[in-house]
Amino acid sequence: MTPAIEVTNLAYSYHDGTEALRGVSFKIQNDECVGLIGPNGAGKSTLLLHLNGLLPEKRGNHSAVAIFGESISTENVNEIHREVAVLFQNPDDQLFCPTVYDDVAFGPRQWGMSEEEIKFKVGKILAQVGIPHFENRSPHHLSGGEKQRVCLAGLLICDPKILVLDEPTRDLDPRGRRELLQILKNIPTTKIIASHDLELIVNLCARTIVLDHGKIVADGDTLDLLSNEKMMLEHGLEKPHSLQHLHPHK
Amino acid sequence: MRHDFIDRYSRQKSPIHNLSTSLKVVTAISALIVIVALPHKSWLVFSLLALLIIPVIVLSKLPIRFLLLRLIMLEPFVLGVSILSLFKEGGTIIFISIVIKSTLALLIMLLLSNTTPFEQILTLLKKIKIPPLMVTILALFYRYLFVLIDESEKMQRARMSRTFTNSKKHIWKSRIQMISELFIRSTERAERIYSAMRARGWS
Repeated sequence: MTPAIEVTNLAYSYHDGTEALRGVSFKIQNDECVGLIGPNGAGKSTLLLHLNGLLPEKRGNHSAVAIFGESISTENVNEIHREVAVLFQNPDDQLFCPTVYDDVAFGPRQWGMSEEEIKFKVGKILAQVGIPHFENRSPHHLSGGEKQRVCLAGLLICDPKILVLDEPTRDLDPRGRRELLQILKNIPTTKIIASHDLELIVNLCARTIVLDHGKIVADGDTLDLLSNEKMMLEHGLEKPHSLQHLHPHK
Repeated sequence: MRHDFIDRYSRQKSPIHNLSTSLKVVTAISALIVIVALPHKSWLVFSLLALLIIPVIVLSKLPIRFLLLRLIMLEPFVLGVSILSLFKEGGTIIFISIVIKSTLALLIMLLLSNTTPFEQILTLLKKIKIPPLMVTILALFYRYLFVLIDESEKMQRARMSRTFTNSKKHIWKSRIQMISELFIRSTERAERIYSAMRARGWS
């Protein structure tokens, strides 16, 4: 079966020569939910930006990332944007429209959906993410959690096949976090979640990839990896509390 | 966007970089005053100044390509101002003079900003009793310019990842929305920065 995401020997350096990724390879199957963890500066965000073709800036003939077997190229990058949706760390970066409605409608308007249908869909999606009737609110007066949901709604309305989330719980209070967890659980698409919120990873992802210094240092079953205290500490992480008293073989 | 796009080379080492900040700033400003004060058609002095700048460029070890590209980037502003003189009687000569004068001035400022770290210029300004408010404004300007660039780049990224068409109309429309949003955020950020500064005793 063609993997949803296939990354082969991906390397990337920033302008100043800093090596952000050095030879990263992995495959993610359809409908998998994979956690991506690692210390600050490990290259998580950089890796995520490659998954929908925002990086590298200059594309050669050969791309290290393939989505559903199709290597990302200048020709198909628009489709890739539609297939792979990215939720960015800071919701404010994503919300630039004057109203919530406009922002959620940003995607569908591009492929010429009728305004009536958009209106219906926006209402439905806003309800799905738990903020019904927010259409006419202005994004910069929403709370952090509400902004996050508007962002998510703007992505979900495009029916992406892969959802890429960068630190989705960073600005959320515990209730907002728990609700987001439920929303994410109910979205059946392939997901890759980068986070320092290890409990979230334990809750959502069966598989985890550990990234440090731009390299994959571990890739496997979440419970196995995250309860490996030595490995976790070595890479600036720690064993999550919920696994502290868990028998290794469950 | 590179963070150091204004003064990428300001922290290198070269005979010019090693000169004292005050010497560089005073020379640059006097040169500017001379250039501004020169009457049109002083071709000889123009070429003399240009000749004087060449050894500075060589000694500073700045890449010529970089300087030229920056000049080309700034030239539209010069042309925008000087083009009006073409409609005057004998305007061609004035036009050429203005272009030469402003290009020289720009080159000098480019050299100064790329051979002297900005904070050293600020320290000097404080020393020579430039009103502290103005120095603070310059310092904040320099500091938050990069935050703004970062922010616009991130917004750009988020927008691109939700763009599925190549339609120019659509791209320009969302670009305009982004710019206006950036304005709003800048004023809001300014308020937050101001309160954070006051919270730490600034007055």
